[in-house]
Amino acid sequence: MNKHSPLSSVLADVNTANGLPNEHYVDPGVFAEERQSVLYANWSGIGFGKDVPESGDAKPVDFLGMPLLIVRDRDGEIGVFQNTCRHRGMILVDAPKKIGGAIRCPYHSWCYSLKGELRATPHVGGPGQNKHEDVKNEYLGLVRIRSHVWRDVIFVNVDGNAPAFEDAHGELLERWKEFETPLFHGGDESSLKLEVKTNWKLAVENYCESYHLPWVHPGLNSYSRLEDHYNIEKRGHYSGQGTLVYRQLTDQDGATMPDFPGLSDKWDEGAEYIALYPNVLLGVQRDHSFAIILEPVDQGNTVEHIELYYAKSEADTPEHDGLRASNAQLWKTVFEEDVFVVEGMQKGRHGMLFDGGRFSPAMDGPTHNFHHWVATQIENGRSE
Amino acid sequence: MDRATLDDLLLDAHSRNDPAALVTYYTMAADEREAAGDIDAACFFLTHAFVFALEHGAPEADSLNQRLVRHGRADRLKL
Repeated sequence: MNKHSPLSSVLADVNTANGLPNEHYVDPGVFAEERQSVLYANWSGIGFGKDVPESGDAKPVDFLGMPLLIVRDRDGEIGVFQNTCRHRGMILVDAPKKIGGAIRCPYHSWCYSLKGELRATPHVGGPGQNKHEDVKNEYLGLVRIRSHVWRDVIFVNVDGNAPAFEDAHGELLERWKEFETPLFHGGDESSLKLEVKTNWKLAVENYCESYHLPWVHPGLNSYSRLEDHYNIEKRGHYSGQGTLVYRQLTDQDGATMPDFPGLSDKWDEGAEYIALYPNVLLGVQRDHSFAIILEPVDQGNTVEHIELYYAKSEADTPEHDGLRASNAQLWKTVFEEDVFVVEGMQKGRHGMLFDGGRFSPAMDGPTHNFHHWVATQIENGRSE
Repeated sequence: MDRATLDDLLLDAHSRNDPAALVTYYTMAADEREAAGDIDAACFFLTHAFVFALEHGAPEADSLNQRLVRHGRADRLKL
């Protein structure tokens, strides 16, 4: 017997569909199910390349209870490993650090290269004997987690069964190919972190629709009206919103920040904000972009990690420090204005008689697109 | 250097988490045991010197690995 609510009404057309049932927001059991079927089975964001800028940088990440280790190796490549020693299962790295030569387990000192190879097994054959015929190093490297870096976001597919990243997200890569230029993080004040009492999906849902803008962000009304936005929906992949009236920030002298090179006219006043399922929110404008990773803590708590990027580095454009600070403040204000909404919807999901909600056929397509995708992942998991 | 002094230096290096000192003093301990013909003890200390050298990317890792290999206590690593 299926103890879960049927998801057929979520999979219906937006005109008649209901949203995901309450249990998808408040039930720890469904949260655990989503962890496997939605977050581990697809390409989820777990961190940023900027956090491991140099060879040897290592950063542990707890991804829904699974200990992972992000490492930049000597070739400059980013790898992700299960942060667990192959010997006794000890956590290898418990805080960000620089690895000078090898990752040494603090328990019995088994050592791994930055590419995860097992390099030393001290005393494994007895005191002073560092090899044993039954312990074969070539089979005992760190467990590598499938990873891919795009727009400085480190994505992982924990279960290893998703299509290649370029295949899974080829449509968005094509849509935004003009933005495939170097990104420069804006520095400390371009990093924002919000701890929000909400289910991670509500942050996605709020991000990808423009319906709420005039009500929740009245400050945007003066230059970014509802009718200047359009819906973005790619069934099974992503959704979001675009604007036709993006206006660059200017300082008191009328200066603006440099554009990403080679953009077409479309982006003179265009900007797009897309939720790349499951948990990465991206925005592109002519002069800056941002990436948000939603870290699901539990069914009712989420950490939003927000990073802003520019076309040129801080070091090369100190004259734009003020503009970068103003821009970070502007986005901080917008994202903070959304907190009461996503927390309020989370509280509302405890209303036992709520049926998942009815969508606006005209305005809520991007949100329904996300619900449809989540429901599909859940159904796929339940059918296995 | 007598053994007690070396032990004190090793404990101090551990408490300071000083990899260079750990490599140096464990190597000295290994040298002393090797000279005395106590190969098992020498390889115990060589192992520790090697692990700390490997961990921190110290150049001594290569020669320490070679010494262990000569005693049949490790496989040769490309470092």
